[in-house]
Amino acid sequence: MTGPKAFLTYASSVQGGAQSGIQECKHQFALDRWNCPESTLQLSTHKGLRSATRETSFVHAISAAGVMYTLTKNCSMGDFDNCGCDDSRIGQTGGRGWIWGGCSDNVAFGEKISKQFVDALEDGHDSRAAVNLHNNEAGRLAIKATMRKACKCHGVSGSCSIQTCWMQLADFREVGNYLKMKHEHAKKLEMDKKPARAGNSADNRGAITHAFRNIARTELIYLEDSPDYCVKNQSLGYQGTERRECLKGDKNMSQWERKSCRRLCYDCGLRVVEKRIEVVSSCNCKFHWCCTVKCEKCTQVVTKYYCARKENGRRSHNKSKRKHRARRH
Amino acid sequence: MAGAIIENMSTKKLVIMGVTLLLFQAFAFMVGGLIAPSPTTAVHYLAAKCVDTSKHRQETKWFMPWGQDQCEKIRSFEEAMAKKIEANNIVFAVHIPLHYNEMSPWFQFMLVILQFDIAFKMYNQIEDGALVTVDVGLAYRDDPTSEWTEMAHSFEQRKLNCNFTTAKTFENEGRYYECDLLPFMEVGSVSHKYYLLNIRLPVNERKKINVGIGEIKDIRLVSIHQNGGFTKVWFAMKTFLTPSILIIMIWYWRRITLLSRPPVLLEKVILALGISMTFINIPVEWFSIGFNWTWMLLFGDIRQGIFYSMLLSFWIIFCGEHLMDQTERNRFSVYWRQVGPIVFGSFCLFIFDMCERGVQLTNPFYSVWASDVGTELAMAFIIVAGICACLYFLFLCFMVFQVFRNISGKRTSLPAMSKARRLHYEGLIFRFKFLMLVTLFCAAMTVIFFIVSQVHDGHWHWGDHEVQVNSAFFTGVYGMWNLYVFAIMFLYAPSHKRYGDEQSSGQCITGDHGANSGEDIQLTTTITHVDAPTEIYKMMGKTAQE
Repeated sequence: MTGPKAFLTYASSVQGGAQSGIQECKHQFALDRWNCPESTLQLSTHKGLRSATRETSFVHAISAAGVMYTLTKNCSMGDFDNCGCDDSRIGQTGGRGWIWGGCSDNVAFGEKISKQFVDALEDGHDSRAAVNLHNNEAGRLAIKATMRKACKCHGVSGSCSIQTCWMQLADFREVGNYLKMKHEHAKKLEMDKKPARAGNSADNRGAITHAFRNIARTELIYLEDSPDYCVKNQSLGYQGTERRECLKGDKNMSQWERKSCRRLCYDCGLRVVEKRIEVVSSCNCKFHWCCTVKCEKCTQVVTKYYCARKENGRRSHNKSKRKHRARRH
Repeated sequence: MAGAIIENMSTKKLVIMGVTLLLFQAFAFMVGGLIAPSPTTAVHYLAAKCVDTSKHRQETKWFMPWGQDQCEKIRSFEEAMAKKIEANNIVFAVHIPLHYNEMSPWFQFMLVILQFDIAFKMYNQIEDGALVTVDVGLAYRDDPTSEWTEMAHSFEQRKLNCNFTTAKTFENEGRYYECDLLPFMEVGSVSHKYYLLNIRLPVNERKKINVGIGEIKDIRLVSIHQNGGFTKVWFAMKTFLTPSILIIMIWYWRRITLLSRPPVLLEKVILALGISMTFINIPVEWFSIGFNWTWMLLFGDIRQGIFYSMLLSFWIIFCGEHLMDQTERNRFSVYWRQVGPIVFGSFCLFIFDMCERGVQLTNPFYSVWASDVGTELAMAFIIVAGICACLYFLFLCFMVFQVFRNISGKRTSLPAMSKARRLHYEGLIFRFKFLMLVTLFCAAMTVIFFIVSQVHDGHWHWGDHEVQVNSAFFTGVYGMWNLYVFAIMFLYAPSHKRYGDEQSSGQCITGDHGANSGEDIQLTTTITHVDAPTEIYKMMGKTAQE
């Protein structure tokens, strides 16, 4: 199934999948200087994604993974009428292949359609397109890598003489964690700059394949070093770390969380502002497994920390003065 | 039992027979590995969340997750929250199978596993020992447009065994618990084309039903059925094996009845082994294609159980009859101590099976493991059966040890014996060692292939061919034990050679006429003048006295 009909069938799932990928991205990067801003995420318009930094590689991977994940889930729910059995390895259509040996699983379906949709957005043939496609693939492989095997014994008297095993999707958070780790170990693609800049000429295809030779399919790659995410960059649509929230003071926090204020504010030359906010939250709740929550309302005062610009740059001025003086002495 | 075919057979013929059996064995593996698909298929389903808008519940209303007249669905429970839909109005619907597919009687059985996706919330955690009560209905239809017919309806309780692997902090809210798979449903025949499951999780705060089970996000089901292709190959194999074993069994028993003495215990036990093998072979499963016989699964278990206990008893009695001490056995009652654990153990397993699969005949959602009492009872039965198995193997090992001790004892005194007696003992020793070797080989093969198929689930690539390891394991091992029984009945049948030529030699299948030529090396020759086993025992008694 191709063409507009296919587009209509899968479009909402693809969109939902990309969205869940972005949500996950935002969660994963909540305490990073780069926090997965909306502008980078417009999957269909290339503007935001034309750079190929470490961060965009993550965005590509998590979106592709999100699309695949959602398609797989919706396939299991029976949303698509051709999922699983349309052209699986054993399957003749009409149910005969299904009766003989079952169909290919839903994950293969999700992968295939995700490939069709997400990879189609990349129409260039330059090294940048190749990098993006590679990262899409790495995202899809992350789903497979995080899948878990489950088995059921159903032999004589329930013994394990007959056992059926299957792979099941992990929580999408796990996919996010996995890709975050891959993001930290992302590799820079070493290429001759000239053909890469030259664009989509066919000559550099050999150079691209050569550069990709040493890179595993599961690794994320990038071409350009990330810009300084401390400062606002309008052309990238990035707002800088000013007014970002960071965490402080709780002993149960992980190392990463504890250092968030230093990373987001101090290291970027900003200071931390403390704000006390009165939050109305629900408490003493009685929950049902779905939908019904009976709560009391409680008000709580919460301290939150934000990065803010230093007032008129006075302190930094002082610092330089002091240094100046020291030298004089 | 004096003078079995195996003793009179030349080495050459024994080798030829061995090779033929090995070829059949390889064929059995290949049938499974190359022709059959994998034995079972697991299909994933994600339950659609339907909304029951009716004020008063109608029993006949079925909710379809997709297709024509599908239910009013919601995507997530946030949506339900906004629309003020309550938990009691939500119906999880699963249609088996997915679009355009049909279920088929070739699938033999279907079992369904239930999994909950429960999100972690700081203020809504799963309580310890939480029980989920599901109100579940199963319906079928054979025509995509006809009405659904109810097949079963039940209230079931399942224990939630979930743990949260990461730290329980606000940061990790929304992550899913890792929950054990819950056995949900098992049907012993798949005679309808479409099945529909409607699951409700009713909440009743007063009765503490479905309270403290966390925030359920999704219900996932995995249905497992046997692949039609595997069933076909399996049936074909059974249909082919039944007459083979049946013919050799009749031939064997004819040989025994032709003897001038009544059959001895060992001969009877071999016949019983053949009968139980035939019983398991007879492809009564063909009827499951035409009839809706849900008890076929249970019946299959019983047949397998009978065969296994027969095989285990056979080993014990075979060892006992080859002990070569002066006590006269040849009576079944002598072995009650060894056979007792087998019978008791299999009886325990039978009771357990009746509790699980027997009850499932009436309520497909029943599971012994769901209740505490049931779990304890089932565990008790399994543990008793396990103890019986251990006891049995202790007895068997002890007996094998005894036989070997006696063999080495006899070995030293062999040269001093008269020729007839020596040949008799050599025959006994050879017969025992041969069976010991073959049995160990078969058992080792079974264990090895079992491990290989467990480790390498799925398939191997062998050139362009895809080898289904699991299927190869099943057909191969099944073929192997058939060949084992076949070989025992053939080789341990009384040889006709000692009757001279008055017996028709044509009734022997592969025959050992060549042995008459005298050119082949004879492994042993039987004692020609001793016919009745009682005399052997007398003689054995004599040796013991000496």
